[in-house]
Amino acid sequence: MRKPIQPSKARKSEYGVDPKYVEKRAAELPNMTSLLLKDLFPDTPETIYPSDKGIQAVREATEKALKDIDMSMIEKDDSVNICASHHGFTLLGGEPYAEMIKTVRDVVNRRTGAENIRLRAGVGLRFRETEEYIREFGLDDYFKGKTKGIAPVDEGIPIETELGTLYGIKSVYDADWIIHTHNSDVREIHFHRQVDRAVKPFAMSYARIESRSTYHWNLGPRASNFVARAIFGSDLVQEKFAFTTFLEMSPVGAIGVDADNDLYALNDRMTASGLKNYGKIVTLFGEIEDCISVLDFPCPVPYVFAAGVIYANFTSANKDLFDLDYALPPYTWYTEAFYDEEGKPLTEEVPPLNPAINMVVHNYAWGGYPSAFFTEHTPTVVVTNEQAEILNRDPQNQEYMDHAVIADKLDTAMDFAYNTTGTENVIIFDGAMEGLNLSKPLAKRLKEKAEEVSKRVDNDLMPKWLKQRGLDPSILK
Amino acid sequence: MKEVTLKAVVSDDCIGCETCVEICPVEAISMEDRKAIIDVDNCMGCGNCEQRCPVYAIEMVKREEPFVAKVDSTKVDQEKLREICKNAKFNPDQLICYCTGTRAKEVAAAILLGANTPEKISRETGVRTGCKVECIQPILRLLEGAGIHPTPPEGGHQWYGKTVTAWEVSKEVKDKYSKRGFRFEEDRVLLDNVIEQKEGK
Repeated sequence: MRKPIQPSKARKSEYGVDPKYVEKRAAELPNMTSLLLKDLFPDTPETIYPSDKGIQAVREATEKALKDIDMSMIEKDDSVNICASHHGFTLLGGEPYAEMIKTVRDVVNRRTGAENIRLRAGVGLRFRETEEYIREFGLDDYFKGKTKGIAPVDEGIPIETELGTLYGIKSVYDADWIIHTHNSDVREIHFHRQVDRAVKPFAMSYARIESRSTYHWNLGPRASNFVARAIFGSDLVQEKFAFTTFLEMSPVGAIGVDADNDLYALNDRMTASGLKNYGKIVTLFGEIEDCISVLDFPCPVPYVFAAGVIYANFTSANKDLFDLDYALPPYTWYTEAFYDEEGKPLTEEVPPLNPAINMVVHNYAWGGYPSAFFTEHTPTVVVTNEQAEILNRDPQNQEYMDHAVIADKLDTAMDFAYNTTGTENVIIFDGAMEGLNLSKPLAKRLKEKAEEVSKRVDNDLMPKWLKQRGLDPSILK
Repeated sequence: MKEVTLKAVVSDDCIGCETCVEICPVEAISMEDRKAIIDVDNCMGCGNCEQRCPVYAIEMVKREEPFVAKVDSTKVDQEKLREICKNAKFNPDQLICYCTGTRAKEVAAAILLGANTPEKISRETGVRTGCKVECIQPILRLLEGAGIHPTPPEGGHQWYGKTVTAWEVSKEVKDKYSKRGFRFEEDRVLLDNVIEQKEGK
């Protein structure tokens, strides 16, 4: 059995507990081991980051991807907004995404002569988050002071679309040209269902509250991401859109950089890449029969991740999230809305939250995202009073601690979880690179099931997933 | 329902830019001598101002006496309440705000009791004072369901307007994009099923 992988380090943020209170990481617990993705699935891709070349590999891949991109529309005196999102900075420590953005700036400047290149970095529900990343990665200096953390409550601009009037953040569109810089990590499969994943920021981190609310309330769980396509397809956006650059992700790390003047063409490639690279591990997690989940990563509860799979998606691992024939994942906001006050589903189509999760130990995860649904549905132990206080003060989590208990340290929490659940299976959502940390019995279970899952995905599921999205299987070649 | 445990406090660093005034979801901030003044009694502790202040001049502090914003939905005419929810295409029992756990029926009750703008609804129920982002459309839909068409606060950008719903997506759009994986019609049926489950019982 391998030693555990070093987990992602705790990060100082106004949304989480001070790292000094994270005294012990779950990977340090006795009886923990790690699995490499390539040991589970031999077809796991090679990474450019992490790799021996370090961050230089990302710069080289970005330069290469941009080589054939048409930038002739950008003139020397034009203004350019490079649009980014918070999520990229949570991947692999954030440096690869920051380096890709810096490289895009350099290449645009070099090829077009433009100097007025600004960074517009959007957020989820933590309005200061990208300001923290801009500081951490020296982006303000790199962009000569032309950076801005933007939020969905900032001044808006109406956008006429095929769905009628929607609203974007004004400062996203206040330049002659926009460049969409993002990543292909599948992340919120429960929301976008891997349909137009690459387009989504136009309905989220670049969008006003009206558009984001439309996404989450007005269209339904499988139609919602059309808000993104509607906004991107509008005249306003099309007139300003120059090109897109994506950090191509897999559960083991960054596997390349892709760019295109045609976002829909890149979207097709990233859709297929996401299904291919994440489909097996997501499906394998559905084979876990019982476990204790430990949250141990610097981001909100649903977004902590193991082997590239976010906890929110693990709570839905009892269903095939990629299968569009399922309307409601066990966790998504439409599903959450469809429980009544007594906790009973309003429709038979609401599936239960993954019953394999016997207990959750919240060792380290932030507030800044409505997460009470998770403690309401799964017994949860929060480690330290300091962390409980962060959640109690969070306007988005007023009920989180109503359904959780507090332990003074991780060991106490784990003893309670082991004794109460009777399981020895532990899965740790700590962002470990190239694999995942877990307990030895669970590692054994996943190894035993991996080959069968791999065949099932290749032979049965992948053809269905591609067909549901109108993609030809040849795209995988 | 929301238990309001925090309040905003402005420091002398305020530069009078009015950003906080423009985004406060309950219009609890005004300007005096180019300094932001918080109406503490109406502050819902959402932190929107603190999160967007460009000079970090606002801090959220604990209230000495927390209060609860809640409307008892059983105290209004139930037939009218159900009618508003039905018009807005919501099941009365469903959530419409994840942060505060507010349900459609509570907002409908607030409307029946006189709250005729999103700002007043937020003050009465606490809705839209958690994440401040996701629940504006349900509020606008419920107001419209009651025949009310509010105008956005003057000089601010708290909200702009109601947008499309599943029942209004054109056939042309549905036909054009369904093959890309967007299940417009099936999702509309799902939403209709939820509305009808307990409605009228």
